[in-house]
Amino acid sequence: MVTRMSTTVIREIDNTSNDPRQRPVLITQGADFGPITDSVSAVAEAARPPKIWYVAMGISLCLTGILGASVGYLIWMGTGIWGLQVPVAWGYAIVNFVFWVGIGHAGTLISAILFLFRQKWRTSINRFAEAMTIFAVICAGMFPGIHVGRVWFEYWMFPIPNYLNLWPQFRSPLLWDVFAVSTYMTVSLLFWYVGMVPDLATFRDRSKTRLRQVMYGIFALGWRGSSRQWHRYEVAYLILAALATPLVLSVHSIVSFDFAVSILPGWHTTIFPPYFVAGAIFSGFAMVMTLAIPARAMFNLKHIITLRHLENMNKIMLVTGMMVGYAYSIEFFIAWYSGNPAEAFAFINRAFGPYAWAYWTMVSCNVLSPQVFWFKWCRTSIPVMFVISILINIGMWFERFVIVASSLSRDFLPSSWGYYIPTRWDVLTFAGSFGLFMTLFLLFCRYLPMVAMAEVKSVLPQAGRHPGHGQYWGEITPEENGEDRP
Amino acid sequence: MRHPADISGESRRLDALAPKLMGMAGGVGLLGLIISVALAFMTEDGVRRAYHAYMVNFCYFLSISLGGLFFTLIQHLSRAGWSVVVRRLSEAVGANTLVMLVLFIPILLGMHHLFPWTSAELLQNDPVLQWKQPYLNAPFFLIRCAVYFGVWCGLSYFLLKRSLDQDASRDPKITLSMERMSAPGLIAFAITLTFASFDFLMSRDYHWFSTIFGVYFFAGSFLSFMAILPVILLFLKSNGRLRHAVSAEHYHDIGKLLFAMNVFWAYIAFSQFMLIWYANLPEETGWYHRRITGDWLNLSYALLFGHFIIPFLGLIGRVSKRRLRLLTPWAVWVLAMHWLDLYWLAMPEYWLRVEGAPVGTIPFSLLDLSTFLGIGGIWVAVLALWLRDHSLIPEGDPRLAESLAFENA
Amino acid sequence: MHDHTAKPQTKAEPSTRVFAVLAEFPSGDEMLEAARKVRDAGYTKWDTHSPYPVHGIDEAMGIRRTILPTIVFVCGLTGALTGLALQWWTSSVYYPVIVSGKPMFSLPANIPIIFELTVLFSAFGAVFGMFALNGLPSLYHGIFNSGRFNSRMSTDRFYISIEAADPKFNRDSARKLLESIGGQSVEVVEERAAVEFPPMLRKWGITALLVLGAFALLPPLYTLRARTRTSEVTRMQLIWDMDQQPRFRAQMKNPLFADGRAMRPQVPGTVARGEAFADDHLHRGLVDGRFAATNALPVTESLLQRGRKKFDIYCAQCHGLDGLGQGMISVRAERLQEGTWVPPLSLHDEVVRTREDGHIFNTITNGIRTMPPYGDQIRVEDRWAIVAYVRALQRSQNATLEDVPSDRRGELP
Repeated sequence: MVTRMSTTVIREIDNTSNDPRQRPVLITQGADFGPITDSVSAVAEAARPPKIWYVAMGISLCLTGILGASVGYLIWMGTGIWGLQVPVAWGYAIVNFVFWVGIGHAGTLISAILFLFRQKWRTSINRFAEAMTIFAVICAGMFPGIHVGRVWFEYWMFPIPNYLNLWPQFRSPLLWDVFAVSTYMTVSLLFWYVGMVPDLATFRDRSKTRLRQVMYGIFALGWRGSSRQWHRYEVAYLILAALATPLVLSVHSIVSFDFAVSILPGWHTTIFPPYFVAGAIFSGFAMVMTLAIPARAMFNLKHIITLRHLENMNKIMLVTGMMVGYAYSIEFFIAWYSGNPAEAFAFINRAFGPYAWAYWTMVSCNVLSPQVFWFKWCRTSIPVMFVISILINIGMWFERFVIVASSLSRDFLPSSWGYYIPTRWDVLTFAGSFGLFMTLFLLFCRYLPMVAMAEVKSVLPQAGRHPGHGQYWGEITPEENGEDRP
Repeated sequence: MRHPADISGESRRLDALAPKLMGMAGGVGLLGLIISVALAFMTEDGVRRAYHAYMVNFCYFLSISLGGLFFTLIQHLSRAGWSVVVRRLSEAVGANTLVMLVLFIPILLGMHHLFPWTSAELLQNDPVLQWKQPYLNAPFFLIRCAVYFGVWCGLSYFLLKRSLDQDASRDPKITLSMERMSAPGLIAFAITLTFASFDFLMSRDYHWFSTIFGVYFFAGSFLSFMAILPVILLFLKSNGRLRHAVSAEHYHDIGKLLFAMNVFWAYIAFSQFMLIWYANLPEETGWYHRRITGDWLNLSYALLFGHFIIPFLGLIGRVSKRRLRLLTPWAVWVLAMHWLDLYWLAMPEYWLRVEGAPVGTIPFSLLDLSTFLGIGGIWVAVLALWLRDHSLIPEGDPRLAESLAFENA
Repeated sequence: MHDHTAKPQTKAEPSTRVFAVLAEFPSGDEMLEAARKVRDAGYTKWDTHSPYPVHGIDEAMGIRRTILPTIVFVCGLTGALTGLALQWWTSSVYYPVIVSGKPMFSLPANIPIIFELTVLFSAFGAVFGMFALNGLPSLYHGIFNSGRFNSRMSTDRFYISIEAADPKFNRDSARKLLESIGGQSVEVVEERAAVEFPPMLRKWGITALLVLGAFALLPPLYTLRARTRTSEVTRMQLIWDMDQQPRFRAQMKNPLFADGRAMRPQVPGTVARGEAFADDHLHRGLVDGRFAATNALPVTESLLQRGRKKFDIYCAQCHGLDGLGQGMISVRAERLQEGTWVPPLSLHDEVVRTREDGHIFNTITNGIRTMPPYGDQIRVEDRWAIVAYVRALQRSQNATLEDVPSDRRGELP
């Protein structure tokens, strides 16, 4: 079997029509079982990945090296190398933790919530969104881990009695975090893996070398596509989706509890849980976008991750961006309405105090920039959405920075006010975490099925050629398929 | 995917049912209001009590109507196919915000009973209230209410009207125009619903504040609509309407949304409670303290079990979701619990700043029932009025066939 | 586009046996229709295979609904109870510690972990339950002996297999049935009669497992031993954690100084900054060794305002805003009937009223009975301000007509 992707030209086809009489096509070219398997497998089966992959991998490995060095130096020297100083004892580490964990929410969201809502377009993007989740959660988990300073005492956080017979402090939100993030990591990993088993079987069956056969064979678990297996598989997948959905909500809610159970003005506000969840989804979709746009070009997947998929994600970013904007405004209003001077000051200080630059960066990136998605040409323009997705990533990082730095630096006692300045180690560690994330992601793209082939197949028109079906879902019409985009 | 259900031979109009329903429900409504007025003037402190009972029931039916409006908006926004067969009902329920506008007049008359912040004497002695005075004052309140009802009535009437137009014209462009309206409509909806919940319920204790309150009210609102939908469907079906159009597949989805919104409500309620309980700040805990004092504690527990745990267990399986006769009792249960939730939100402040009040007792009264029947009767009658001359499903919707063929995969 | 060349079929050797009869279908729909007929033919040990779950196949094959949801429910319940029991037992029974004024057993604070464990256990139930019910991971299955199946099943072809283990199985009738219902490339899949384990692996593998297992037991055994015995050996300290820091303690030698003492004596004739309490009146409230009768600072309105502010912060909790001794703490202590509580004297008591300013200053500075000293907390000027304000308070409670300005005496009742 020879991979023939090189002979097939993948064009950008506009499938974003909104005609209510007909559902849009999801796979714009070669929408049949064989070609889809070929184009997805081509990435992993090619003798060499594209040149750009090596360039990206080189950069990512350099950054990962920087991460290793900064974490090593941190463990050697202690957290004094960071810019942490009373009153701001939570700095980059917590900002980065919340940032990465937030990004880690889109994968499971796309998989789980969109699955429950029967959004069939999810099948093209869910696999690598889930992978992204796992890598982002790895980056996220690292930060509180190294932030404790004496990493060799990390086992104190687990529910095992230490030699003093003392147990973890279950009434602390920081411990809830340990449970929430590790549960989330485990369930996401299971969800990702379970979804991948049938595709790994495909890879196994297509493998040419013994090594590949054995490796993919082990992880495919002996899957034989039996309908009796599929039946339980589908039930398990549905249950996992139904579990993962409240899990996504709970994890970022618990992250928000880290802040909101305190009495610090700007942190203690009841809208934090849903507001954090919306922000997490927002940032996660932005990151999926940032990765999907280059990946679909690099690996020739423009017919599977189509403009329609990108447009839908842009719409979700617009919606979640509005939700975040709603939370910013309600917080501001209630800060005044509460009649609590400390509360009101915290917000005036955010917007006009020493961190105003960060606050307005956040507002313009998170609330203003997605507004361009009201216009269809922006929603369907690759350069525009790429830029906006990066802006949102920046804005969401600043959101966490504003929450952490502005509230801590100026609380109730003016005599203890301060100003947080990160050191070069803060910045290098953060930059390095991108290296780790990208390295894992590039490895994933190269060796694992990047698109959920089995799931994409199940939403193709051929999968259910029953009477009346094509009328509602996915029959390609000449009008739909006609127009090329430059 | 199965064949679209054949609906050519079935009855999709209220026909004779409409006048009967309007007469009966309207009669009950008028009677309820008359009894309420009589009770108000006959019992001690009756007028104040009557306004409070009216407020609870007004918010109750308002929340259901807003839930219907939201359902319509979100179905358009997501271009949903499955829900087309029940969308006419949600449009009509949403359009009932128009009758809520008329029923809002008594609230305005009783403002000084319902909202202690209207008192000039209090304003003079309360620095916190003075701080809030730019927001909490009668003229601005009236302006805000005008905006809320303007948005709700405008949106819901537009959606109902356009949909009815489509019945005749079958023009798919109408669908596009409704979808286009829904995006900004949803934003206006979110803002007005939030501030309405602040104004009608949160400001009853004018010292208390909670940023999540709008979301809390929204959760109850959408939940109550998902609960009233099976009730309406069962009524229509048992009267021989919509026999084939709405199937077990649709109940299943309605049931799932009912279940999901119930869990969502619990999530929001827990978030609000947990954060206030944990931080334990005096300016916030007072509101909850009132609700865990005396008999109110029992009511709070009733909500915990009745509003969350029991329906959670009842609705988790697929059996109760796919059978209308099993789903409807749960829906009625949830509707009752939603009423209790609103009672719990609004009524503890009945004793607020009342000299020598029996704090901790629940002031249940016959007025709660009579105003419920009053507002509810009129609400149902107007609902029947919207549907009187029209089909019960959007006949001209281009996705109707998809909805009729819909199957839970 | 797909030239998946089927591999040559397994050669029929004497040691092989028939595993199943396999038929290929080009689409899911055709397989679905065929599956109905196989079911109607009364077979029980048969299966269909497809690259994705074919909608409606459960009904067509007559697959009963799995019990997986029940397993998950039980697992979830176990998770919830585990979370609850763990937190209840550790934080309110085994080792109760008061944290931020919360009850030992505080359910709201325990909900997050209960929830997470519920989800975690349910997810384990769903995934591992599904694997177990599906018999995964499976090292071997006879169907994989078909080359055609191996190359197309997970890509784009659909299969029905009737296994030899079926009681009704007959090679020819099964073949005929599959052909009659549209099956293509119907083949008889054969497998080796006995699947052999490589002898080398068997021999060394078991030994290696045993040795590894024995080694794996060592660390826990060693830990167990260490936990039940005492040892004379100093604890090994891998990471020092600033436990052993080089420093000079009292009475130690320090060769840096000529006298070799680590503790340094005071330099004669020096006073530490801010410790020159030269003014007896201001710092001790004394004039010529007796309590000063007057305030050490000029009494102005701003001093009184400051005194009021400081009094409300530091004194009013016990003495009350009015000085009558009905402060919040005092009232509560009396309500709780605290045995050690000495109620504060009313500041309007004759005893206090007749005391010199210096005496009151001294009481604030050094405390009296259960009242703690405030000298360290309140600056000296503020203490005098409080004294002035206490005087003003006393005067307000014992005012005469002369104290009222003459032009406002008419307002009095």
